Amino acid sequence: MSDNPNDKYDVVLDHEYDGIQELNNPLPMWWLWTFFGTIIFAFIYWIHYSVGGGMSLDGHLQAQLQQIEEQKQLEAKNQPQKNEADLETLPKNAAVVAQGNKVFQMNCANCHGDKGQGGIGPNLTDNYWIHGDGKMTSVMATIKDGVLEKGMPSWGPIFKPEEIEALAAFVVNLRGSNPANAKAPQGEDKGS
Amino acid sequence: MERKLEKFFYDDNIVKMFIMATLFWGGAAFLVGLIIALQLAYWPLNLNLDFLTFSRLRPLHTNAAIFAFAGNAIFAGIYHSSQRLLKTRLFSDFLTKLHFWGWQTIILAALITLPLGFTQGKEYAELEWPIDLMITIIWVVFAVNFFGTIARRREQHLYVAIWFYIATIVTVAMLHVVNSIEIPVSFLQSYPVYAGVQDALVQWWYGHNAVAFFLTTPFLGLMYYYIPKAVNRPIYSYRLSIVHFWALVFIYIWAGPHHLLYTALPEWSQTLGMIFSVMLWAPSWGGMINGLLTLRGAWHLLRTEPIVQFLIAAVTFYGMATFEGPLLSIKSVSALGHYTDWIIGHVHGGALGWNGFLAFGMIYYLVPRLWGADGMYSKKLMSYHLWIALTGILLYYISMVSAGITQGLMWRAISPTGQMTYPDFVQTVNAIRPLYWVRVFGGLLFITGYFIGIYNIWKTIAMGKKVSPVEQQAYALTFKDDSNENAHRKLEGLGTVFTVLVLVSVIVGSVIEILPTLSIHKHLPQDEQILPYTALEQLGRDVYVTEGCYVCHSQMIRTYTPDVIRFGPSSTIAESMYDHPFQWGSKRTGPDLARVGGKYPDLWHYRHMVDPRSMNNQSIMPAYGWLETKKADFYSLRKKLSVLRTLGVPYTDEQVSQADIWAEKQAEEVAAQLEKDGAPAGLKDKKIVALIAYLQCLGKKAKTGTDTSKWNNFPFKKVAGGEQ
Ligand code: HEC
Ligand code: HEC
Repeated sequence: MSDNPNDKYDVVLDHEYDGIQELNNPLPMWWLWTFFGTIIFAFIYWIHYSVGGGMSLDGHLQAQLQQIEEQKQLEAKNQPQKNEADLETLPKNAAVVAQGNKVFQMNCANCHGDKGQGGIGPNLTDNYWIHGDGKMTSVMATIKDGVLEKGMPSWGPIFKPEEIEALAAFVVNLRGSNPANAKAPQGEDKGS
Repeated sequence: MERKLEKFFYDDNIVKMFIMATLFWGGAAFLVGLIIALQLAYWPLNLNLDFLTFSRLRPLHTNAAIFAFAGNAIFAGIYHSSQRLLKTRLFSDFLTKLHFWGWQTIILAALITLPLGFTQGKEYAELEWPIDLMITIIWVVFAVNFFGTIARRREQHLYVAIWFYIATIVTVAMLHVVNSIEIPVSFLQSYPVYAGVQDALVQWWYGHNAVAFFLTTPFLGLMYYYIPKAVNRPIYSYRLSIVHFWALVFIYIWAGPHHLLYTALPEWSQTLGMIFSVMLWAPSWGGMINGLLTLRGAWHLLRTEPIVQFLIAAVTFYGMATFEGPLLSIKSVSALGHYTDWIIGHVHGGALGWNGFLAFGMIYYLVPRLWGADGMYSKKLMSYHLWIALTGILLYYISMVSAGITQGLMWRAISPTGQMTYPDFVQTVNAIRPLYWVRVFGGLLFITGYFIGIYNIWKTIAMGKKVSPVEQQAYALTFKDDSNENAHRKLEGLGTVFTVLVLVSVIVGSVIEILPTLSIHKHLPQDEQILPYTALEQLGRDVYVTEGCYVCHSQMIRTYTPDVIRFGPSSTIAESMYDHPFQWGSKRTGPDLARVGGKYPDLWHYRHMVDPRSMNNQSIMPAYGWLETKKADFYSLRKKLSVLRTLGVPYTDEQVSQADIWAEKQAEEVAAQLEKDGAPAGLKDKKIVALIAYLQCLGKKAKTGTDTSKWNNFPFKKVAGGEQ
């Protein structure tokens, strides 16, 4: 290699621009190999994802979503379905209601008022319900699935099952609390 | 052959003027940056004034930093070094002056129009069409002046700095013209001809290469002049200059789509963007190596000479930023970093470290020489400037990268059953607010350094003796026979051929990437296509663009599990096919809005826009109270819809000719419902109603099952553009 005059170090070229000279040093080897390395990587990557059957971003997404779905079903199977009788004591459990209150203030109060008196969303303290009968299972269902056409978000994907139970317990416990500035009733009277 | 010795003078006055402009606008850009950093840390500083709100000021900051600070700095350096490298005075004194005053007028126009909300809503290309036109004209003036200077040169071969200047001028012209093709609807409003994914691709081809050819190539050219001058050593490797120059120019132009990874952009295009970004690493480092190794034998200057410290710090930041760039372009890294403040940290490493320090190093080199002082007033103050600013940049960089990674990890924290660990978006914002304060502090330090510099420069100028121009002598150019030289050396003697080759290099990648996308909407299956916006929704969209909501909100749910779980199915090409301009956004300080339509009742939006804290007490979003008092401009709608129709949005004759009437009817209905639900009366002709109509239609424009499709054809006829 050293026979090649081009590879001599620190040869000053006979250029000169406003006093600036240039050396004719060879390209640093590590630099050149980095460059070649990235080109080889780019080539292989391109081949892999264009004709080599590399998984597309959407394929990847679908696979992950499917996995999540399976995991969810598995979990649902293992979790015993609770019925009204299992749940109806929760609104009397002060600790659960307190936890529900905390979550409610952070996520629901902006629409339903801090005492559930209503605002953008309906009053949750009266006997009138647009959806269901105001009992634990029905309130839980509303919270979980929401009423998307009417602007009540679905909270199922956001909260854990215990949190939804606590929220519902808090809501059920509100009934008859008669807060100030309550919104006029909406829906049907389901009695107390 | 007899050679004629010619006498001439350099024009150094223009260099002084551009330096003054750099310092002046630089200060403005940094201050606005500090204000918007404070606004994110502490929202009340939006002051409830439309023209001082974060989303109006951020475009002002980015444009000022790029075009006013960096722009004036490169003009100063290019004009100073080119005259000396080409041994001739600038081509035309008139064009030189026109260039200077034209450019300052453009900046002034930006300073007025951006805060007032005249914007195209495309990042770093926000300026409206009359200003775009001015930029084009002044850029041509610059080009004529520069190439005229090359034509009059007394130096046969072009030095590497000049190659980089040529690449800058040619490519920026191409980028600006192609990205700014737009149709005016009024004196200060226009719609780009591209829509949705095309607009996104063209915009980021522009945006990325603005970084490449406005903030990189010209600065590399300056580096190739001022570093060897400052250290008085030869350039390390001429061969490296050649290889990295051409590699850089050819490869850079392909890399734009790395801003659009995981989006609706076709995947082959994303892959091209990624692999070319990776290949860009070595060519970028070629410049860094040549800059750093030029110091061989003069390393001791790095201990004693602040100017050398500035220049070398700049090159080091360049090396860091051009390593981080390719890294962020790798798809899986982008998944984490995209939309976060990591990107903000990345650009500031480049802008403050590389561009800022190089500009200051150059200015410190030039000021004593141009104003006739022997050296700067105080070396010590230069050192203070360097170290304080350096600490500032590091704090800025570290805080924003930490913020970005933290928030990225919080967004993607999901249980195996798909439960988000941080379901409330605002939690992820709160987690990084302390880091916003660290950034403010970093910015404050950088500005402190700037003011120390200003003081030092002012004292130096006061010290200077009056300099009268020095007469220069050089032989008139006679082309020597260079046929025994290598091919590239010959090319360096052929200015025009060189320029054409540069142009070809940047056109190849551009055409291959952009052309296929231009017809993409035509090939969308019928059932995927969507309904165009109703007149009122389009009006609301214009409000969204005017207010600059895109600086905090994306409208592009990525093909990426955490995005889909948080915001809904990934966005499709069809969903933005009528979006002139696209509003995919690049940063999520707030949540994605692509599917926010119907998520909340109208009243929620009303209250949230007027006072975000009333709906989400932790929110840092500015309040947009003026939207409920300012009137919506229904009368402009006929013109707007007719322009959009010429751009390919399928409006019927009736929809265009009745646009304002239908919009008012829809507005009345929305306002009536709002009033019934508890909002104040009299909102029907206000901007807020249009904006709410727009927000409520996002993600809901599929041809089947839209709530608002009837408004496409008031009064309730069969939807014309719809069921074909
Ligand atoms: C964006 C505003 C909004 C938020 C936030 C919100 N809701 Fe609602 N909610 C509504 C609206 C609107 C309705 C009425 C839906 C309808 O008219 O069918 C509603 C209805 C309900 C109902 C049924 C009431 C009935 O009469 O049948 C319950 C229960 C409820 N919400 C609970 C909650 C809980 C618990 C939370 C917090 C986790 C919450 N909501 C958060 C807007 C909201
Ligand atoms: C400084 C950044 C910022 C700007 C500018 C901004 N927002 Fe926001 N936005 C946020 C943040 C943070 C949130 C989340 C907290 C909240 O709900 O207020 C948000 C939330 C929202 C939401 C609720 C989204 C959801 O799914 O809950 C909407 C709608 C919205 N913004 C609309 C806008 C509009 C319209 C504009 C322009 C007029 C705008 N924003 C400007 C930061 C911003």
